[in-house]
Amino acid sequence: MTASAPGGRLAQGKRWVEADGVHIDVRGLPPPAPLVAILELVESIGDTTPVIVHHERDPQLLYPELAEIGWTAVRIDGAPGEVRLKLERGR
Amino acid sequence: MKLAAGAFIAGAASRLLPPSIPFRFFGAAVAYHLLAWIALFAGAQSVPRFAGGLGWPLAALHLVTLGVLAMTAIGASLQLLPVATRQPVRSQRWPALIWWLYTPGVAAVALGMGMAAPRLLAGGAVAVVAALGGYALLLARNLIGARGMPVVVAHGWAALGSLVVVLATALSLACAYLGFSGFGRGMEISLHVTFTAYGFMGLLALGLSYILVPMFALSAAPDQRRAWVSLTLAVTALLLSAAASSGVAQQPLRMAAIGAGTVAVALHWRLMSVALKTGMRRELGRSFTLVRVAWALLVASLVAALGVAMEAPVAGMATLFGILLIGGWLLTFLLGILQRIVPFLASMHGAPGKRLPPTPSSLTAQRPLEIHFVCHLAALALLALAVVTGSEKVASAGALVGSVGAAAFAGFFFIVLRRMSAADLNAGRRQASAG
Repeated sequence: MTASAPGGRLAQGKRWVEADGVHIDVRGLPPPAPLVAILELVESIGDTTPVIVHHERDPQLLYPELAEIGWTAVRIDGAPGEVRLKLERGR
Repeated sequence: MKLAAGAFIAGAASRLLPPSIPFRFFGAAVAYHLLAWIALFAGAQSVPRFAGGLGWPLAALHLVTLGVLAMTAIGASLQLLPVATRQPVRSQRWPALIWWLYTPGVAAVALGMGMAAPRLLAGGAVAVVAALGGYALLLARNLIGARGMPVVVAHGWAALGSLVVVLATALSLACAYLGFSGFGRGMEISLHVTFTAYGFMGLLALGLSYILVPMFALSAAPDQRRAWVSLTLAVTALLLSAAASSGVAQQPLRMAAIGAGTVAVALHWRLMSVALKTGMRRELGRSFTLVRVAWALLVASLVAALGVAMEAPVAGMATLFGILLIGGWLLTFLLGILQRIVPFLASMHGAPGKRLPPTPSSLTAQRPLEIHFVCHLAALALLALAVVTGSEKVASAGALVGSVGAAAFAGFFFIVLRRMSAADLNAGRRQASAG
């Protein structure tokens, strides 16, 4: 009844790695996949690698969830119409 | 196909009401929760064989339905639906006005019932009906402009239709105490109870669950097709029950309604169980233990309804049905959800614009919730025992234990408010010193 994304993940999201961190693009995903995909990725990271999120809207309700697991989020420059966030493990 | 629950997650900030609006509804609900148990204690001698009529048990019942359940539903839906259906908050004045009309109206209704003062009751009923009418208009406007989440919106429309039946029967029943005759007391009470508990409140609870449960469990969205089937069966059950209230083929129609309702609930429960089982967050604590108990008691209420429909030779069956339905299902579910929503919303509002907001767990208070958990379940068990044994003393004990639990829940709420204010104040100080 609930579909899992490939690789045993609950939610999909295009992922790739660049010099500034692991990127995830959750635009166009059927909700609540964006939240679940971001948190799945964040929780899979064991070191201090940042996560760059490409989103359609400011995911306001993500922030309490991130704070709960000791991560912070800041808005960074992105493409027009995109909300881009840099997530980092709190120090 | 998947539900659009994540629309709720994204882009919430511009759609949030100021915290004073949802929290004033939640605060009033917390206060009326305590008053409901106190009113029940005052009328405990007539609880075991309660069958309606003016007095403190009826006042306690309406303090729960109007003061706690509907009060919270108004606050939660005014806050959640614009976010979930991707709409801006259109008015802050109307929700505040509704609160100012509704809150004293509920007090007048409860006092009028408790003190057997029909004029006070009628005055309160007019205020409550006017406030709920205003809320119905706000809800309708929101549902008309909704984008996405069609099955949640459909639950909203069905709840709204039920609310119209509830308000019409409530006015007619209140007028009957002033000597005006309506369509027949038995029919009106039957419609009023069914459309309040299973219709308005029940459908709002089931619909909002499709948003809230995946959000808290961090799960994939429930299957939309099955959610639609569940809703269709629930609405069918309500229509069958309404037809039975007219007096034609009463018993078969009621049994058919209970059958359709049971399948609707089973489907909903299955969807919710899958969300909880497959979600990233498996440990949801006492709040979701209460939610699970509430789902079980919803099924138990349908079994009791069957007993009432078949005129089972058990004393107090109708009273037991009421306890299972209102206290067991709706109140338990709402208190379970409310203890998660309040710290979460407080976290979002606690320090707006902060890079690292206060965490929900740092704002909540576990000790009062532990006390409430034990007292709430014990109080329900004692009330059920009081009905089965016909004991007034056990009913008094149940109401007393329930009052302690409600006081503990109020303690939790005020601790969250205090911590939210402190977080806001600290954020303000840091901004000022940085500036």
